[in-house]
Amino acid sequence: MNRVAFVYHPDYLLHESPFDHPESPARLTAITEHLQATGLMEKMVPLTPAYTENGDIFRVHAPEYLQRLESACRRGDLTLDAGDTYLCRNSYAIAFLSAAGAMAGAEAVFTGKVRRAFCALRPPGHHSDRNTGMGFCLLNNIAIAARYLQARHGVSRILIVDWDVHHGNGTQSIFLEDPSVFFFSIHEHPSFLYPGTGRRWETGKGAGEGATLNAPMSPGAGDDEYRHAFEQMLRPAVDRFRPEIILVSAGFDGHKDDPLADIQLTGEGFRYMTRFVVEMADRHCGGRVVSLLEGGYELKSLTSSVEIHIRELLGT
Amino acid sequence: MFVVRRMQRNVVTVAPDASLYEARELMRGHNVHQLPVTGGNGKLVGILSNRDVREASLPVALLSGATEKEAEDLLRNTPVEKVMTRKVVTATVDDTLEDTVVLLHDFRVNSLPVVDGQGRVAGIISRTDVLKAFIDVLGVGEVSSRLEVVVPDRPGGLAQIMTIIKGFNVNITSVLTTGAPEEGKRAIFFRVATQNVVPLKQAIREAGFRILDPSSFHL
Repeated sequence: MNRVAFVYHPDYLLHESPFDHPESPARLTAITEHLQATGLMEKMVPLTPAYTENGDIFRVHAPEYLQRLESACRRGDLTLDAGDTYLCRNSYAIAFLSAAGAMAGAEAVFTGKVRRAFCALRPPGHHSDRNTGMGFCLLNNIAIAARYLQARHGVSRILIVDWDVHHGNGTQSIFLEDPSVFFFSIHEHPSFLYPGTGRRWETGKGAGEGATLNAPMSPGAGDDEYRHAFEQMLRPAVDRFRPEIILVSAGFDGHKDDPLADIQLTGEGFRYMTRFVVEMADRHCGGRVVSLLEGGYELKSLTSSVEIHIRELLGT
Repeated sequence: MFVVRRMQRNVVTVAPDASLYEARELMRGHNVHQLPVTGGNGKLVGILSNRDVREASLPVALLSGATEKEAEDLLRNTPVEKVMTRKVVTATVDDTLEDTVVLLHDFRVNSLPVVDGQGRVAGIISRTDVLKAFIDVLGVGEVSSRLEVVVPDRPGGLAQIMTIIKGFNVNITSVLTTGAPEEGKRAIFFRVATQNVVPLKQAIREAGFRILDPSSFHL
């Protein structure tokens, strides 16, 4: 059995919506309770992140955006701009803590304290770009972790696999021109689903041309179509890129029971994708995988899928 | 919207007595596929496409033993007016973009010179310009979710849905509608600036409307 860190902080529950909202603290409560009930929690190494400094966040986000976010929270704004990305007074601090969790997971894995990590974070991050949050996301946790690994440990080839059902537009835009971070996103086709980007010809820009890969899936696609895309698109790309670590934007909202999208993945689909990533990591980078929770809103399928995901990370 | 808002204003034109060789170089240099042909007073007298040029030089290219030099000579010695199309399908500066869409479609041309009241070339609009307008109207690439709702084809159906969406404080980034998927109905296509479409869909359904499954989208 592999050493797997479970990154979590009880304060993650303090980012709360002022109105009924699918991205709720109940998601994390359900996950932790389920992992305890199934005995998986005690098989993992608990890791509690500490609040972080601005410097780690500045590597990804513009200072003007952080100021805007901070004052919006302090003022008691209910949402960021007019969108559906809600705020409460705690949100600014908890967004930092969420990013800190991503960095703590990356640190523990890269330095060999654990072989892999699952970071049960919220708010999620993959829609946030340098200048704004959107789509329930405030700070781009996975980008902050990637930049941390580059700055602190000089990691030169990072693979990000984003299987949240929504395109990881923020992560894509942050690394669009960066050949050292390979970004793969598989998601429901942008003609049908938020955010409306991630078409197959979006493949990076400038020096980063070829280091972005998008697999838009038709509504109704499921385990077979995802397996096909992983084999045909991701496998050759990863073998060429030879990552030193793999980060995963693990959204579970592609599950057939999730109400936000039209993709029909089952638990077996998440088992396959996790196994694939683990196998790739074993082959190229000593098994180093850091998985970050993104979406997943239907609690029953969320918890069962996370369970499958963690079992595969543990290798039990 | 008027065609002048979307047309290209810097039009590369050619004189009727210019040679096909000059015309071909102009097209290559400016990366265009056709040139409006204008007389001394700037009036439109014809249009020359890259296909016209190709077809003019084709007989020589097919002759056995013909050299590239001979083909080039032919282009140098043939004036534009000899092969240009004289009956040009044009748009006028008062036309709307809708007019040009219909013209481009019905006359099966790739672009339309846009002429003013004196018959002078004021611009040119191509299929590409029209497609760009469609990309904008469809909201492709804007951060948003898409919905398609079926409403009764009578006044007020759209308004009712707009009111529901407004109730969620959600911005609408694009609205399109198309004829009946079934008798007496219309499909309305929305792009809304939210990821959280579940409550929105629920409220629209509760108001008695049908939301289409993505696989049966009309647009």
